Amino acid sequence: MISLSDVSVVLGRKAIIKEASFNAQAGALTVIVGPNGSGKTTLMRALSGDLPFTGRITINGHSLGHLKPWQMAAMRAILPQSTSLSFPFTVREIVRLGLTSGRSGATHDVAENLPDEALALVDLAGFGGRFYQELSGGEQQRVQLARVLCQVWQPVLDGQPRFLFLDEPVSSLDIKHQLIIMQIAHAFATRGGGVIAILHDLNLTSMYADRVVVMHGGRIDSVGTPAEVLTDDRILRVYECALKVGALPDKHVPFVLPQSAVM
Amino acid sequence: MSESVLMRPAVLRSGQGKTRPEGDRSFLARGVIVLLGLALLATMLFSLTAGASDASVISVISALVRGASSDNNVLSLRDSIIIWDIRLPRIILGAMIGASLAVSGAVMQGLFRNPLADPGIVGVSAGAGLGAVSVIVLGGTVLAPFIATFSLFALPVAAFIGALVFTLILYAVATRRGQTSIATMLLAGIALGAMAMAYIGLLTFLADDRQLRDLTFWTLGSLAGSNWAKMATAGPFIVLALLVSPFLGRGLNALALGEASASHLGIPVQRFKRVAIIVVAAATGASVAVSGGIGFVGVVVPHLLRLVIGPDHRYLLPASALLGASLLLLADAVSRTIVAPSELPIGIVTAAVGAPFFLWILLRRRGIVDL
Repeated sequence: MISLSDVSVVLGRKAIIKEASFNAQAGALTVIVGPNGSGKTTLMRALSGDLPFTGRITINGHSLGHLKPWQMAAMRAILPQSTSLSFPFTVREIVRLGLTSGRSGATHDVAENLPDEALALVDLAGFGGRFYQELSGGEQQRVQLARVLCQVWQPVLDGQPRFLFLDEPVSSLDIKHQLIIMQIAHAFATRGGGVIAILHDLNLTSMYADRVVVMHGGRIDSVGTPAEVLTDDRILRVYECALKVGALPDKHVPFVLPQSAVM
Repeated sequence: MSESVLMRPAVLRSGQGKTRPEGDRSFLARGVIVLLGLALLATMLFSLTAGASDASVISVISALVRGASSDNNVLSLRDSIIIWDIRLPRIILGAMIGASLAVSGAVMQGLFRNPLADPGIVGVSAGAGLGAVSVIVLGGTVLAPFIATFSLFALPVAAFIGALVFTLILYAVATRRGQTSIATMLLAGIALGAMAMAYIGLLTFLADDRQLRDLTFWTLGSLAGSNWAKMATAGPFIVLALLVSPFLGRGLNALALGEASASHLGIPVQRFKRVAIIVVAAATGASVAVSGGIGFVGVVVPHLLRLVIGPDHRYLLPASALLGASLLLLADAVSRTIVAPSELPIGIVTAAVGAPFFLWILLRRRGIVDL
């Protein structure tokens, strides 16, 4: 379990996160939503150990401040919003970097093939020999996800659950790959790991989230199941946008929901 | 939306035969390293026999095998002295300096996430030169206690300190939150280089005739005057840097993703950067202390290798060391034969070849990054 209590982050003189408290359970997909500038990415950077914060964050009971980088690397992997490279790495070489910490959880001979398996998982089989810089933004994002998956290949290691932090994992993906990536995150949680993802798509959130954390102005507005959290009132208050949950458009207006793809 | 896509099995079959997976260049890289090792041996042997005096390859090899002391008449006494006291120290030192220039270039490029970073181009060599020149000119006066403390090692230690200080300044100026702007780095390098040159100029102005002669070779860069004593003082710095560098490969690879991602992968980034900066400063400082400013090896060698084996630093660093050593020995062979019996400072040779190469890299990158 990842637990935050009274976490505040100040950047420069501005308080970006104010007294955030919530728990993210192993075995669950926790989605953070909120408008631009509400502090989602800053909160995730604090969770990742990149930013100084006050309050307390624990991973599986270990306080974040007491963990060394390599100890944290064995407990969680982080997908950044975007990654640019200055050297001509191949896709496979990038994915292989996920094995840097040496705690993928796979046995040695499987670990050698892990980059290829992870690439197949994100629907990039056969891309190993391509140069990372030559790929499209969406493909690069999936390469990075494959790398991150290699780092915590087994969702549970030595009896301890491990975590995936995904910062807008589907932001530049087409609908097919949005679903594939959310399915991977869902499977990771089903197999005992924990996932914390930042999403902008409320339909995908509703479809996949076990718990939703709504952020607003640097504070945690509410935490709950999608049904509890996604209400007209709250969307109006948080997003300042009058939307009706569950309202269908006029008959002649086509609309496509991700929900229609499953089962 | 077909079901098959969403229902992709979580774990695919493993062990897909023995074929190399696409995009895995480690096998190629290992092969290249072996070849470069053999090439270096051949180059050293060639350098040992090339020169104004013509001792044959076979006689040189048999002399090396039998040792210096044994009374062999394969080589004349004159050739024996030329080989043991002049060429051998020069070749070993040249190989070490070539290796350390190339490795410090490769480490610096990985550290700055920037293929144009090179100690010579961004002013770090100038900083090392400033340290060394200070000792030469001020050693009898202001810096006398420094010389007393470090005695024989005063020159490389001073060059090391100069290189370290300049690297730290450069890093502080050019890097913000782990991102280095290419333009800022190169401009900061120009400023640092100009600053060092100003002080070196001032010191030159203060120098007496004997010191002036010592100073001249800094500006040109030369392996002439290599001897066992120089190797004993600069060698430990270079050997230490070269021995540590293979351990930097993993971290430099992770750093290619950015500092945050490297840290997420388990690399203690701040400590790692400190070690890498010290390696660069030690390698650059010692090289400059011995040979003055030999430019462009550090940018040309890693770049060529990245084209062939890719940027994986676990292989790039040892390969750079081997190719840097070979190329500098070849450049040295050119410099001492092209205007024989006189010899050209090697820095002229490396700059004549390296500077156009640097421009070519700039042209190639112009479309990719915004300078």
